[in-house]
Amino acid sequence: MFRNYVTVAVRNLVKHRLYSAINLIGLAVGLAACILILLFVRNETTYDRFFTDAERIHQVVIRAQLPGRSPDVVASTMVPLGDAMKDAFPEVELRSSMIQQGVTVRGGDRLFSETVFAADPEFLDIFDLAFVEGDRATALRDRSGLVIREEIARKYFGDEPALGRTLTIDGQHDVRITGVMKDLPANTHLRFDILMPIDGPAVRNIEALRTQWGNISATTYVKLRPGVDLAEFNRRFADWSKTAMPEMRSPNGVIRLSDIFTPRLRPLLSINTDPLNTQMRPGTSMREIYTFSAVAVMVLAIASINFMNLATARATQRAREVSVRKVVGASRGQIVSQFVGESVLLTLIGLLLAMALVELLLPAYSAFLGKELAFDYGDPGLVGMLLGLTLIVGVAGGTYPAFFLSAFNPAAVLKGASSGVGGGSGRLRMALVIVQFAISIALMVATAVVYGQFLYAQNKDLGFDKENVVVLEGLSTRAMREKARPLAEQIAKDGRVAAVSATGITPGTFDESNTNVRMPGRDSSELLVIRSEVVDFGFFETMGMNLVAGRDFDRDRGTDIANRPEWLRPGGQRPPGTPENFEIPASVILNESAVKRLGFSSNEAALGQSYNASAGQGVSFKFTVIGVVQDFHFRSVRDPIAPAHFFVDPTQFDAVAVRIKPGDIEGALGAIDAAWRDFFPDTPTQRVFLDDRIEQLYAQERQAATMFAAFSGLAIVIACLGLFGLASFTAERRTKEIGLRKVLGAGVSDIVRLLVWQFSKPVLLANLIAWPVAWYGMSRWLESFTYRIDLNPLLFVGAGMTALAIAWITVGLHAAKVAQAKPIRALRYE
Amino acid sequence: MLKLVNLSKVYRTEEVETTALNGVNIHVRDGEFVAVMGPSGCGKSSLLNIVGMLDTPSSGEYWFDGEEVSKYSERKLADIRKRNIGFIFQSFNLIDELTVFENVELALLYHDIPARDRKERVKAALDKVKISHREGHLPQQLSGGQQQRVAIARAVVSRPKMLLADEPTGNLDSANGDEVMHMLTELNGEGTTIVMVTHSMPHAQYARRIINLFDGQVVAENLRAA
Repeated sequence: MFRNYVTVAVRNLVKHRLYSAINLIGLAVGLAACILILLFVRNETTYDRFFTDAERIHQVVIRAQLPGRSPDVVASTMVPLGDAMKDAFPEVELRSSMIQQGVTVRGGDRLFSETVFAADPEFLDIFDLAFVEGDRATALRDRSGLVIREEIARKYFGDEPALGRTLTIDGQHDVRITGVMKDLPANTHLRFDILMPIDGPAVRNIEALRTQWGNISATTYVKLRPGVDLAEFNRRFADWSKTAMPEMRSPNGVIRLSDIFTPRLRPLLSINTDPLNTQMRPGTSMREIYTFSAVAVMVLAIASINFMNLATARATQRAREVSVRKVVGASRGQIVSQFVGESVLLTLIGLLLAMALVELLLPAYSAFLGKELAFDYGDPGLVGMLLGLTLIVGVAGGTYPAFFLSAFNPAAVLKGASSGVGGGSGRLRMALVIVQFAISIALMVATAVVYGQFLYAQNKDLGFDKENVVVLEGLSTRAMREKARPLAEQIAKDGRVAAVSATGITPGTFDESNTNVRMPGRDSSELLVIRSEVVDFGFFETMGMNLVAGRDFDRDRGTDIANRPEWLRPGGQRPPGTPENFEIPASVILNESAVKRLGFSSNEAALGQSYNASAGQGVSFKFTVIGVVQDFHFRSVRDPIAPAHFFVDPTQFDAVAVRIKPGDIEGALGAIDAAWRDFFPDTPTQRVFLDDRIEQLYAQERQAATMFAAFSGLAIVIACLGLFGLASFTAERRTKEIGLRKVLGAGVSDIVRLLVWQFSKPVLLANLIAWPVAWYGMSRWLESFTYRIDLNPLLFVGAGMTALAIAWITVGLHAAKVAQAKPIRALRYE
Repeated sequence: MLKLVNLSKVYRTEEVETTALNGVNIHVRDGEFVAVMGPSGCGKSSLLNIVGMLDTPSSGEYWFDGEEVSKYSERKLADIRKRNIGFIFQSFNLIDELTVFENVELALLYHDIPARDRKERVKAALDKVKISHREGHLPQQLSGGQQQRVAIARAVVSRPKMLLADEPTGNLDSANGDEVMHMLTELNGEGTTIVMVTHSMPHAQYARRIINLFDGQVVAENLRAA
């Protein structure tokens, strides 16, 4: 019996090649798309699982609510928090804080700039990373030890063993390799090359960091004891933090850090699907995962509808078989199971093709995503999902046709060659086509909006000119920082350089400093916190930023520099006898947002006004506003622009921005590198093009938009495939009618119009469903962007027209062929 | 074998009511060969569909093998049908995708018969209609007469008590038609009850009895000498 079913199924497939091909290709492509998305989703949702006790490991995140700013949750904490919480909560079994530093590393004759993570030794107890050399348990417990990745070991030592070898950090601290880690797997949120103990000799400024509760620059992990209820723990943790975080007193008022920062734990396993600023690797939000899963379901739905439609449409051709089977005694149940089985079989063939497609596309797909996706046939979860998928699609696609076919009245069918059956309910088929096209049109609109928003974000006026700007970084030590301005002056001498400025800030980075401001004569109970950034003369010009009021800093005016006394620099001590209300006068430039935040009625009104802000050690800056710079985006346009002020403080520069004249970029870079070498012979240059850095901010959005567009395109292709099949079926069924019309004088164009109109109706109706759904969905989506495009009705009309045009081309080609056939042949068929 | 008592069939659509059979009384005994004749639209096909349990009557009784089946469910009818009735159609109704052998075997697939027995019985049936040499062919590769012989083999392979033939020779030339009639007569001789609808007077003559239908009513029954 089963063999008989298979025989009939296979012979039918072969006999009706066009339908089989449409079905199989549609199914295979739909399933392949589904599998690709599934692999992506599975990869994204299984990060960090391989760590022992992964479900007990958590990361401390901070919700920062700066007054006047929208709240932000970051994956960073303060260094003292980890130790304090371990003392306060017995549930915390292990904790590790880690901080990041840019250093130079010399090994023999090899010298590189590296980013190093300094962590508590317990870090390697929390994360059981695989070691190639050395002992994980003790590697970080040696103060002058260092743990590196395999790849880094090769970089410095070639193929020789690295354990026990010495590296020199920042040209002065010799450390010994105490461990070599395996390279990190692709599916962890952790990303670092070099680990050192946080109390090691090469860690800068750690004593100060251990006391700074206002400095959010560390990453803290804890491992909880078994059985801790996270929600309940987080409640107590938040309460505790209210008292644990100290108040910061300054001449300008008291800042209660607990009013600004609220810490909580988030599970290690959710880090990748809950991406936050400042985490080591950008993750994929659940929203993206849901969106792509939904796209997968829709693609598959479209393919299944093709299958249903073509199967019922073709029912006439199977009617006789069904009737004969019934006459010789098949029950309805047997007929239904035969056809459902056939559908599952077809889906299985589709699955095999899909798997081949996936294997073919996976390398490119992985490369595009920058992930290591693997199609692992040994993964029972994956195999189970694939088989489940096949069963669902096969049964969903096969059930309706099966019931439809099994309901034939054999007496009527067997009497004549083809009388009795109308080829299924044309109305239902059209309803399904409407659904398909509604999905396609909605996806088209969604793609256009996503892409439109993406392009908008990329091309939005950032408030500066990102082209041809090179940023020199890696001025990590105090000695280097103090040479920033001389370096800039040296570079400025080159004729290929348009402008140069040392700076403490460059757009596209996440570092920010904030200060609280006291406006004279204003109620000091309201906390005014704004970003406080350091720039040098010529910074705004170098960046192409526009001053909208007042003037730029002028190197000929002494008051334009904030002259910090030596003891106010890092590590300094306020000398006894300093006056209580010691103030440093300085000029300041506000951005437009700060003008509003500080309550000035206009940009012009702000000019000449003074206010105080902390400079540390109980000292205040007395700032006088000399200018207002147009708002510019510090980061991605996703983030709102923070109110900020800028002043000149030559002790705080950590980068140099260089605008190069277009033309001889290479030559200019050569001159820049040469100048760098003159100043810092022991440190490799670290330079980056500003536009590349800005581009990086959008890399993931670009990726998501491209992926979305690709899969939506696929959905549309599959829908068209189905329409093509349906059109050819209809044309075939209407052969006689077409023949008659031609006999009665209809021309080819009349016939084409007839068929094309038949298929235009469902597409037009599909718009009525797609538009409101897409409008609602995309408005919601756009709401998450601070700066966003408007939904343009033309977009909707355009998507509808595109769908219609595609349908016309698909159907029209076929209709033309049918219409050109000689009518007599058509009439003879009957 | 079967007895129709005051049997009627009315087809209703929204606006039109068509009476296909109107108070038909027919009695067919075991082993009889009955031909049903009449002009187009007289109700022959409706009669055959009801007798073949492919359709149910609007009123009246249908006794089959001592059971009144007119009110039976589709499932129950299908079961009786599969055990007792074989069908032969004007348009052969072979399945294009199956070979001759497979087409005949199909009639046994819905019975619980082991594969080995099935094979033997199919071979025997094909032998009987002299088409064994074509068992691997597809229907399109056969002539009309050959196709109808396959259809006969399919109808008899399950050893039904009764054969229903709906214009079995309608699509055949006279030589092939005669051959088919010879086979039916032979089967009847072996004890199978046959009810055949036909337009052809010469072929009706093969039957023992001819029933004439007109406008849904039996207008004449002619018993012929064997």
